[in-house]
Amino acid sequence: MLAFAFRKVLTLVGTMIGIAALTFVITNVAPGDPARLVAGPNATEDMVTTIRTEYGLDKSLPEQFVVYMGDLVTGDLGQSIVTTRPVLEEVLRYAPATLELVFVAMALGIIVGVPMGMLSAVYKDGPIDHATRIFSISGVALPAFWFGIILQLTFAVDLGWLPVSGRLPLVTRPPETVTGLLLVDSLLAGRLDTFWTSLRHIILPAIVLSFPCLASILRVNRAEMIEVLQSDYIVAARAHGIASFRIVAIYALKNALLPTLAMIGLRFGWMLGSTVLVETVFDWPGIGLYAVSSALSSDFKPVIGVTLVIGFFFIVANTLVDLAYAWIDPRLRSA
Amino acid sequence: MTGPLLDIQNYRLDISTFDGPVHVLKDINLTVNRGETLGIVGESGSGKTVLVRSVLGIGPKASKVVEGKIAFDGQDITALPEKDWTKIRGIRISMIFQDPMTYLNPLFTIGQQISDVIAAHEKAAGHGVSSKAARRARTEDLLDQVGLPNPAMLFDQYPHQLSGGMRQRVLIAMALSGKPDLLIADEPTTALDVTVQAQVLDLINSLVEKLNLTVIMISHDIGAIATIAKRCAVMYKGEIVEQGLTADILSAPKHEYTRRLLAAVPDIDTAAAKVAAEPAVGTSPKPGVLLEAIGLRKVYRSQSGTEVTAVDSINLSVATGEIFGVVGESGSGKSTLARMLLRLIEPTSGDIIFDGKNISGLTGEPLRLMRRHMQFVFQNPHSALNGRHTIGDAIGEPLRIQTNMSRRDIEVRVEALLDIVQLPKMFKYRYPHELSGGQKQRICIARAIALNPRLLILDEPTSALDISVQAQVLDFLQELRAELDLTYVFISHNLAVIRQICDRTIVMKRGVIVEQGETERLFLSPQHEYTRALIESGRKTSRAANLSASAGSQ
Repeated sequence: MLAFAFRKVLTLVGTMIGIAALTFVITNVAPGDPARLVAGPNATEDMVTTIRTEYGLDKSLPEQFVVYMGDLVTGDLGQSIVTTRPVLEEVLRYAPATLELVFVAMALGIIVGVPMGMLSAVYKDGPIDHATRIFSISGVALPAFWFGIILQLTFAVDLGWLPVSGRLPLVTRPPETVTGLLLVDSLLAGRLDTFWTSLRHIILPAIVLSFPCLASILRVNRAEMIEVLQSDYIVAARAHGIASFRIVAIYALKNALLPTLAMIGLRFGWMLGSTVLVETVFDWPGIGLYAVSSALSSDFKPVIGVTLVIGFFFIVANTLVDLAYAWIDPRLRSA
Repeated sequence: MTGPLLDIQNYRLDISTFDGPVHVLKDINLTVNRGETLGIVGESGSGKTVLVRSVLGIGPKASKVVEGKIAFDGQDITALPEKDWTKIRGIRISMIFQDPMTYLNPLFTIGQQISDVIAAHEKAAGHGVSSKAARRARTEDLLDQVGLPNPAMLFDQYPHQLSGGMRQRVLIAMALSGKPDLLIADEPTTALDVTVQAQVLDLINSLVEKLNLTVIMISHDIGAIATIAKRCAVMYKGEIVEQGLTADILSAPKHEYTRRLLAAVPDIDTAAAKVAAEPAVGTSPKPGVLLEAIGLRKVYRSQSGTEVTAVDSINLSVATGEIFGVVGESGSGKSTLARMLLRLIEPTSGDIIFDGKNISGLTGEPLRLMRRHMQFVFQNPHSALNGRHTIGDAIGEPLRIQTNMSRRDIEVRVEALLDIVQLPKMFKYRYPHELSGGQKQRICIARAIALNPRLLILDEPTSALDISVQAQVLDFLQELRAELDLTYVFISHNLAVIRQICDRTIVMKRGVIVEQGETERLFLSPQHEYTRALIESGRKTSRAANLSASAGSQ
């Protein structure tokens, strides 16, 4: 198991290098001269040249690549042109908000999606099954920005139950930063009211972000459960007199969970990417919003930084999924 | 305590399908007395599994009892509500299954699975679940009882770490955990090797005596039934066509189907009236060596670095026109060998010489062209055909890949091939699921001979088929060989089949050849101890031996 974990971590490092190389290629393939872009439309040729030297853009591509990778290793993601602050610092400041949103959305997806998939499979072709299938199809089909706006209009504007956007009201003093996750920090600081406020803020964006993910978890889990429930060992478990609930919830679920886990890993990366939309709709101060505002002001270093960070989290999530696979399935451990 | 333990009367069961109800069981009358072992023989689709599963209340979902009832120990269990079943299932009636791999949950340890069953029984009995340690002790007891070594270690192992025979013993232990009155054994030996089959049957026999069990054993193998059941019933198309003492049925079958079934069982103790007495002398001008393997070896390396030698320094030569048998138990390396001969698996070292040409170094186009001369027929025809392709597509595929024949010509050739395998031309429009197992295997053979190959490698071509179908396919293979001047490498674990059709045979064990020679000589005077053991355990379940044995004891 340790050797397995070690191999997985090595793969992680390799993939990370790949992503870094890919972002480098993309920025250099993209049309436009970054130096001229930075200098602005009214800059003289001299200013462009100065900037080019300053950013190391006058060197050959391989040289630039070495410098770029070297900077990455030392944690230097460059500087934002707009704020003139290190990108790493800014990304680290915005990342917890995004992670908090993604975690809550993912938890929602799993907690609702897995049991609904199970129910749907057990009562296959019954009313419950049909209802969840309609639900899951709409989950995959609804565009996030539209769904987000509809939720805002209904629950925030019309009914006034929940706040429209943001993470915390301006007047609320945020709790002392420990993890950066408001829900956790407010609990750690013992401030239940802040916890409650931030929970109310996160509900709508988390629902919007989790809905497609929930739907696909549900569908995969349903399909797998149906297949597993027909397998020989389930027949055997019934014949041996094991209670139906235990068969479904433990014997079958553990087997059905394997493909569902793979889906969860993929959806995690997808969610990180989708935060760009959802954060914009809900004005959520995370890396998605940061990337959008940087991109709009042609500030390309932060965009690369955010890409790398999202890539990193995605790979970590999938490595965890792989490890969970091995933890669940003994056949993988010995292989 | 009086009366039969199980009494099935006028039982009729329908399964509703898209095309209306199918009568799966028709008017079943069957009684099983306490302490008795009853056998039920029948082919796949005869309804025997549905019948015994109904006894346990785990029949097919869309089924409906039309008439009749099943009474267990005086209690009518035909329409028992689910909660009452918990007091019977696994406790008073339990069951063991065909394939011990798929019937154990792969993600739970042996110990967890058995203790769970014990816990379920204790819960159903209503006197609380005992402690983990107590259940562990009981589990280890049970594992010990079924003859498994080192129960304490087994407890924490997973199913994939056990051999087939051990897994079947685990399933038996699980079935015994509730101290059942009635044990239903559904083809308990079918998926096991011959030597292991005999052991498992012995185990069941000894448990019957020790625990005073009543057993219903179902099987398509009448030999296995004869070794343990005094009385048996023969099922055919959802009906019991004959029942009575096993010895009587074997010696004087009354129903036509039973007679056919018995005639089709290959007998290990009879030399075949081989067509192959003259190995195609007239047909092939130069009878010589067609296929040769020299020092063939395959080593698998697992990720953790341990090496497993699946096949080790095999030397063999197959003469043109002969049927060359390869016999051995699962894990003996016979399938690996077969696949290496076709270069479907790369040998680690060694040479393969086909028709005087070394093909072990061939790659790319030459290898691809070579392949048209040697074709493969797989064990399971149900999975060897793509369910989304028509039969015509399946048979025509090698022609499309290997030749430049026009669509029309392929059509014509496919029809001719269907004719050769004695199936109607119209079958080309059908899909695999519309065909029976025997028909599918004929299709696979037609596909294999489409390119007029010289060599066919048949990997257990009849193992997945019913016995009566097996006989047909074997006959057909022999005819085909004479007709098309073919050479066969025939792989099987079934010695009776090998004896029936192979000219020369090699016996494999753990990747090496332990004995080889003329098939008849191997059977008449086996030299190696392993060959003797194989023949002996094969004989145990062979019909003739049992017939004389039970006739002698009567």
